[in-house]
Amino acid sequence: MSNYLSVTDEEKKQMLESIGVKTADELFADINKDLWLRKLNMPDGKSQQEVMEIMSDLAAKNKVYRSIMRGAGAYWHYTPSAVKNLAGRSEFVTGYTPYQAELSQGVLQSIFEYQSMICQLTGMDVSNASVFSGATAAAEGILMCEGQRKKVLVPDNINPETTAVIKTYLSRKGMEIIPLPVVDGLVNYDALRGMVNQEIACIYFEQPNYFGLIEDAEEIVRIVHDCGGKVVTGCNPLSLALLKSPGECGADIAVGDAGCFGLPLSFGGPYIGFMACTAKEMRRLPGRIVGETLDKNGKRAYVLTLQAREQHIRREKASSNICTNQAHCALTAGIYLAAMGPNGLKEVSTSCTSMAHYAAEEMVKVGATLKYSEIQNGDVIKGEFFHEFVTVHKGKAAKIIERLAKDDILAGLELDKNEILWCFTEMVKKEDVDAAIEAVRRG
Amino acid sequence: METIFEKSKKGKRCSSIKPLRVPTHTIKNKYTRGDLNLPEVAEIDLVRHYTALSNRAFGVDTGFYPLGSCTMKYNPKLNDEAANLPGFTQIHPSQEVETVQGCMEAMYMLSEQLMEITGMDGISLQPSSGAHGEYLGLLLIDAYHKSRKQTGRTKILIPDSAHGTNPASAAMAGFEVVVVPSNADKGVDIDALKALVGNDTAALMLTNPTTLGLFEKNIKEIGKIVHDAGGLLYYDGANLNAIMGIARPGDMGFDVIHLNIHKTFSTPHGGGGPGSGPVGVKTALFPFLPNPSIIKTKRSEFEFKFLESSIGKIGAYYGNFGVYIKALAYILTLGGDGLKESSVMAVTNANYLKKGIADLYPTEKGRHCMHEFVVSLEDLKAKTGVSAMDIAKAMIDRGMHPPTMYFPLIVHEALMIEPTETESKDTLDNAIKVLRELYELALSNPQALKNAPATTVISRPDEALAARQPKVRG
Repeated sequence: MSNYLSVTDEEKKQMLESIGVKTADELFADINKDLWLRKLNMPDGKSQQEVMEIMSDLAAKNKVYRSIMRGAGAYWHYTPSAVKNLAGRSEFVTGYTPYQAELSQGVLQSIFEYQSMICQLTGMDVSNASVFSGATAAAEGILMCEGQRKKVLVPDNINPETTAVIKTYLSRKGMEIIPLPVVDGLVNYDALRGMVNQEIACIYFEQPNYFGLIEDAEEIVRIVHDCGGKVVTGCNPLSLALLKSPGECGADIAVGDAGCFGLPLSFGGPYIGFMACTAKEMRRLPGRIVGETLDKNGKRAYVLTLQAREQHIRREKASSNICTNQAHCALTAGIYLAAMGPNGLKEVSTSCTSMAHYAAEEMVKVGATLKYSEIQNGDVIKGEFFHEFVTVHKGKAAKIIERLAKDDILAGLELDKNEILWCFTEMVKKEDVDAAIEAVRRG
Repeated sequence: METIFEKSKKGKRCSSIKPLRVPTHTIKNKYTRGDLNLPEVAEIDLVRHYTALSNRAFGVDTGFYPLGSCTMKYNPKLNDEAANLPGFTQIHPSQEVETVQGCMEAMYMLSEQLMEITGMDGISLQPSSGAHGEYLGLLLIDAYHKSRKQTGRTKILIPDSAHGTNPASAAMAGFEVVVVPSNADKGVDIDALKALVGNDTAALMLTNPTTLGLFEKNIKEIGKIVHDAGGLLYYDGANLNAIMGIARPGDMGFDVIHLNIHKTFSTPHGGGGPGSGPVGVKTALFPFLPNPSIIKTKRSEFEFKFLESSIGKIGAYYGNFGVYIKALAYILTLGGDGLKESSVMAVTNANYLKKGIADLYPTEKGRHCMHEFVVSLEDLKAKTGVSAMDIAKAMIDRGMHPPTMYFPLIVHEALMIEPTETESKDTLDNAIKVLRELYELALSNPQALKNAPATTVISRPDEALAARQPKVRG
């Protein structure tokens, strides 16, 4: 019923006359008659009002929790009003990839600033304009290390979504994943020492890892670099407000998902994969990169650059096939970081880690144990973690999760029948954390 | 214009969060970082900065955007509002399945509709862009051949007019690329194709309508040649906007397709994403679709299904979910009749614009174009020195976004023009007027075009300098 056309019937008639056809059907004369479709077997159009009702009804079939204590790769955070408002400006929303620099300085500069912020956070020299998600960023980061060496070390304490995507991306490239043993939830450094050799292209590990634990990244880098392998670190960029950056630790490539910077949970996407690397790896980096240059009058200008890496120039020799990325998500992340600033971001990060440590310590007091960590009098004596941790319960995890669901709280993720992976962010109220602790006490 | 870093002053603050009500945890020094240099601005500085940037950007909402192959149609506001409903935005991807039935139903509905529109038997929404879809489609083709013990099918045939993503995706999927030349009609050269196919052919990738905006008349013969050789036919859906409700890739013989939701189904491009590139397949390739797929039970509930034979995952969670909601709202609004009317109007608009300039800007003669057409400025350049780029830049001064330049590669000095169905006759008449004037100007005063654009904040940036001395961060 509704459409988005802007031509009257009379105008359409005039246009067809001008083209020299009697009916629009004649314009499709090149399509073999036996391919013509009689009619699509689907409902006719509806009014905008009806469509909004249908969409609202669908949304109402989902359960919106008042508090979310589940992370495992997707994180619930506060987004300042200005971020949503500015990112929603329609010149940003309705433009294409900024091929025409003169008309796209705003988009290009926003990406340049986003790249600068990602470089600051990761301690790297170069960032691209984004890829689809943290998972594809990890896969593309590993592919950057492909050369004579074909083996990739991957511990099984990383996000399982990422593991699955890496497997797919490597399967057709002749690269082999070598599982790296884990001890107490962390990379087994002794095992790693024994496994590195001249065949190892790189290691991919996560900081913090899937269980929320903080790895000794510098030790990993030392061991892998000693054998000439490269290091790809997958990081939660929010944790980088506090944690030593991959650059400081000596990594070659840093990747991750920046969905935590102003993007809603939205059932898993769109989020945004970021990729950054050292200057040495720059020409292997996939995706769009914005660079600064001068225009013909000597004015500062921004352009898509280093395009000799890309598919539209290099075709099958390109460093990746990526074309459309998550530009608008990068814009949002950039605005979020500018709105928070260094101090705001540290506060968010500190709030997350503090809430998590409070919850962990209190849960232990009421009978749970921490699978990988020990806390004594507020001091973590084993298994330092950021804002996620794994608890082990005497009773069933499902029962605790169910009990909290009745209280409108999404509990942590059940990892095993009596294990839960919790995540606490700045969004969670202390009363709700206390409700979770009570649910754990009751088991 | 200054960057946000240059506007930063130490001590300024914009947003804040609630005070911490639990003891502050301090992470051990061994793990903590040094300085963090992010911009420090007040809210008004932030708002002025990004508003100024938006004023230096151009979208469909700003004006005419005939960027060929990109289908820059109007992006309905209803779709954005639907995707922003809290019942969608506040849903965690790992929630229990009974609490996300609305999300799953929306994905199921969209998949069903895309299957009907394309004539395919199954759909995966997981890919996040067209190229991502191509990559998945090729992995499915590989899995299909291998399941039939056809391990020698290592080559993908790709026409010389194809998008750059086609060969790049084929290479990423581990295939060897074989280029198929075009014939005089700018379609696939049938004799060349016959000579190139064989028992090493995995698939032919084809865009139809082609990147020249022409329907591939020999599609059935092409399909037969590839199928007879044991290969599959892959459909690049970049140009589906020409044929919705009129003809379907599934009926043309395509085995695997990808769509560009952000082109055909009106979801905004966002300056380069997020997009979505669903992949459709015929039944024979069903077992290999990425995990998980969504099925509807007898009780009209929705479940995730994991297949052992699947190629696995190519993206986190379920892809760019928010984009699906926009596309679903669009398809529901238009319905089957509206989708067809959109395609008819897209093709009508393109032919009307073409008719208005074809005497000056040479393009394919003797047949109607589909939703776009490609003109060559080779003669004009020889005569006046004015290039496709010069005309494009001069269009900017006249308030419109330029067409796609220098693509497809088989046309010299190419401009690829796609007006889309949502533009009015007045807009097209103005575009015709402007393009005709620019042609006259090229003859009378070529230097004026060399100086364009003159109305923009910058003009003709030095791309060589940017690549030679990369400055990619502030």
